[in-house]
Amino acid sequence: MASYKTLEFDVLVIGAGGAGLRAAIEASAAGAKVGVVSKSLLGKAHTVMAEGGVAASIGNVDDRDNWRVHFSDTMRGGQYLNNPRMAEIHAKEAPARVLELEAWGALFDRTKDGRILQRNFGGHKFPRLAHVGDRTGLEMIRTLQDHAIHKQIDFHMECTVVTLLKHDGRVTGAFGYYREHGQFVVIRANAIVLATGGIGKSFSITSNSWEYTADGHALAYRAGADLMDMEFVQFHPTGMVWPPSVRGILVTEGVRGEGGVLRNSQGKRFMFDDIPDLYKNQTAKDEEEGWRYVTGDKDANRPPELLTRDHVARCINREVKEGRGSPHGGVYLDIAWIKEKIPNAQEHIKKKLPSMYHQFKELAGVDITTEAMEVGPTCHYVMGGVRVDAETQMSTVPGLFAAGECAAGLHGANRLGGNSLSDLLVFGKRAGEHAAAFALGQTGPFPDANAQVADAAAWAEEPFARDQNGDNPFRVQHDLQAMMHAKVGIVRIDSEMREALDDLKSLGERSLAAPVSGNRDFNPGWHTAMDMRNMLTVAEAVTLAAVERQESRGAHFRDDFPAKDPEAAKFNIVLRQGSDGAMQVVRTPVVARTDEQDAVIKEMG
Amino acid sequence: MAKTIRFRIKRQAGKGAPVRWDVFDVPYQDNANVISCLMEVRKNPVTTDGAAVEPPAWEAACLEEVCGTCTMVINGRVRQACTALVDEVGVQKGDVIEISLEPMTKFPLVRDLIVDRAKMFESLIQVKAWVPIDGSYDLGMAPAQDDEVRKLRYELSRCMTCGCCMEACPQYSDKSSFIGPAPIGQALLFNLHPVGQTLQGERLETLSDEGGVTGCGNAQNCVKVCPNGVPLTQSIAEINRQTTVHKFKKWFGLTA
Repeated sequence: MASYKTLEFDVLVIGAGGAGLRAAIEASAAGAKVGVVSKSLLGKAHTVMAEGGVAASIGNVDDRDNWRVHFSDTMRGGQYLNNPRMAEIHAKEAPARVLELEAWGALFDRTKDGRILQRNFGGHKFPRLAHVGDRTGLEMIRTLQDHAIHKQIDFHMECTVVTLLKHDGRVTGAFGYYREHGQFVVIRANAIVLATGGIGKSFSITSNSWEYTADGHALAYRAGADLMDMEFVQFHPTGMVWPPSVRGILVTEGVRGEGGVLRNSQGKRFMFDDIPDLYKNQTAKDEEEGWRYVTGDKDANRPPELLTRDHVARCINREVKEGRGSPHGGVYLDIAWIKEKIPNAQEHIKKKLPSMYHQFKELAGVDITTEAMEVGPTCHYVMGGVRVDAETQMSTVPGLFAAGECAAGLHGANRLGGNSLSDLLVFGKRAGEHAAAFALGQTGPFPDANAQVADAAAWAEEPFARDQNGDNPFRVQHDLQAMMHAKVGIVRIDSEMREALDDLKSLGERSLAAPVSGNRDFNPGWHTAMDMRNMLTVAEAVTLAAVERQESRGAHFRDDFPAKDPEAAKFNIVLRQGSDGAMQVVRTPVVARTDEQDAVIKEMG
Repeated sequence: MAKTIRFRIKRQAGKGAPVRWDVFDVPYQDNANVISCLMEVRKNPVTTDGAAVEPPAWEAACLEEVCGTCTMVINGRVRQACTALVDEVGVQKGDVIEISLEPMTKFPLVRDLIVDRAKMFESLIQVKAWVPIDGSYDLGMAPAQDDEVRKLRYELSRCMTCGCCMEACPQYSDKSSFIGPAPIGQALLFNLHPVGQTLQGERLETLSDEGGVTGCGNAQNCVKVCPNGVPLTQSIAEINRQTTVHKFKKWFGLTA
């Protein structure tokens, strides 16, 4: 059998983003011996890219804010498919987690009297997002990283976990490899916290970084845990599409708010073509009125570019699909045109949109004050994840916990901006605390896992033994991304998703045949082959759940069922592995709200 | 006119392994940056000599210059590759734009363009760059801070441990014990924190020892290469002043 290194901890945290670091700090403070493995470098996890802020009802800017308002905003945003207890815990504990982070050295922008400044954000009734410029994620990661490295936590960077080990139904460790030299590692632990983030890399255009290959989702699923709400994948209408390295990076809604317009390759402002009846009265009737709105005329209606995110994304999608897209598969977002309307337009744009000006200038060499941007919808966040207990974050598998984006429940059918950073802190902390308690309650030596380790190692080495003339893993990955984007993306329809299920079967077969050359020594082809299994599993989960939900709700839009169905508000969709190995789709009643929770929602309107 | 971007990439399988330079041509694309070109090279890793080779190893994460992962030496200057626009960093010779890529030299080489920056975290531990508070309890609001101090902390907090300043510092190397600019900036950040201050004495002890702040040769390269404008030379000067005050206090028995 292949040789491997062995590590032993009480608690193993997989992932070193916000949730993972917060969990590790808490587990360590509780007296557990903690190890952290992460695919990327410490301090470089995807959390670093979060810009908007962290939602917490501290009430510094508007003292009418409190947990009850935050709770009811979160439930409304999630279209009431959220786990209400998680939404309540989150709203109640977020302020303490933010203040604690501040005590640990995190900086925030300040009000005039020196308190943490909070900004408005879509769906939040009051200014609620604590932030530091547009780099809140970096500040959170820096603070958590600085804290964690002083806590006797054992970090193993650039290490990928392939399989979880189990005994008598509970987790007892993990098997993985170091990316640098491919050395196998067996990590024994009595509790494991998954904090692996999202699944964006299963789609071709995403704001997510390369690590987001759904590892935690798939590890949990294969270990027998439930996944839930996987049909809810959030797309942002405008991401950069060119050059390739920046594909998917967010372009803020602020560009449209300042007068930016969307045009197709024929130069047509296509958003006027399809305005939903529900919004007809609130939408500008022509370009002139739209311009008056963005320049502050309170009597004017908003331009159609500012319709809901989902609608804008669908319209862009339609233009591209019908052959009226830009050269790199997007449409044009033009703010430079306002020079027809105002003097000093260039200076005005730089002043109003400094970070966007720099983002395009520095990453793509595009001057947005003189030329149009190319943009397209980008996969941003997954609301679905491992089904967990609201109090402890433990999954249905004893000893296996999940926190952050890879856990489900808080966001329901759609997530409010700012609620992901608070999610990391609140539930990262809880997962760490309860994982430590669980692990410290276990006695006796680790049970034998040799057979499982041998199987996992054999599976990991197998791609080198394949017929070397086959497909390569990058191409299979690319085809999976393109297929998911086209058939299970922003607009979904039963027939296309059925095709997707067939495509997933053939992609699965191709993936199993795609050879890897060379050896395990830093081998990106092999890394991709290892990740593909996770991406395929989760792509299937998203597709099956999206087929099952025959309505449109939150981030899930069905062309064949464009309305909400009150009956479908009663269940969440759970996916689990059946005894035959096939993925089962189970409708599960939404967690009932308490009378008190209902009263809060009613009171807040 | 068919322009070409020509990359010379330093290849090495690991520390001490033989060095080789591979040359790759990438067709010119509008708005390309170094990372988008490296993605092209990875798709078809054939050198200009026609040799099919293993794709060069490099790493990147955020791709928008927030995380610092893709730091490397590009045409002789250390910076992030994700914001290195070909039209700006390349040297144009006729229809060819030349760009050389090398790994940072001050950290142990892992492979090709990848280095091991664990030393940066070790130095943060050395200077105790944290606030020693434990447990989760209601801490209330942090004390209000002087606006000038707050602004300085804001600038210092922008460090993303990318390693540019360490690479550019002539005093920071295998042969010297100098701790380097980044951890000195972070020591100041925590010395300016109302609670972090409790460890100021210990930080200054470390930084007045050998390898501490006096190792700085005042070349001022660090501030020139820092992508986030962290006031590094100002930090070194301020920590230098603080260590002097600390020493005097110690001589006169004013500190433990």
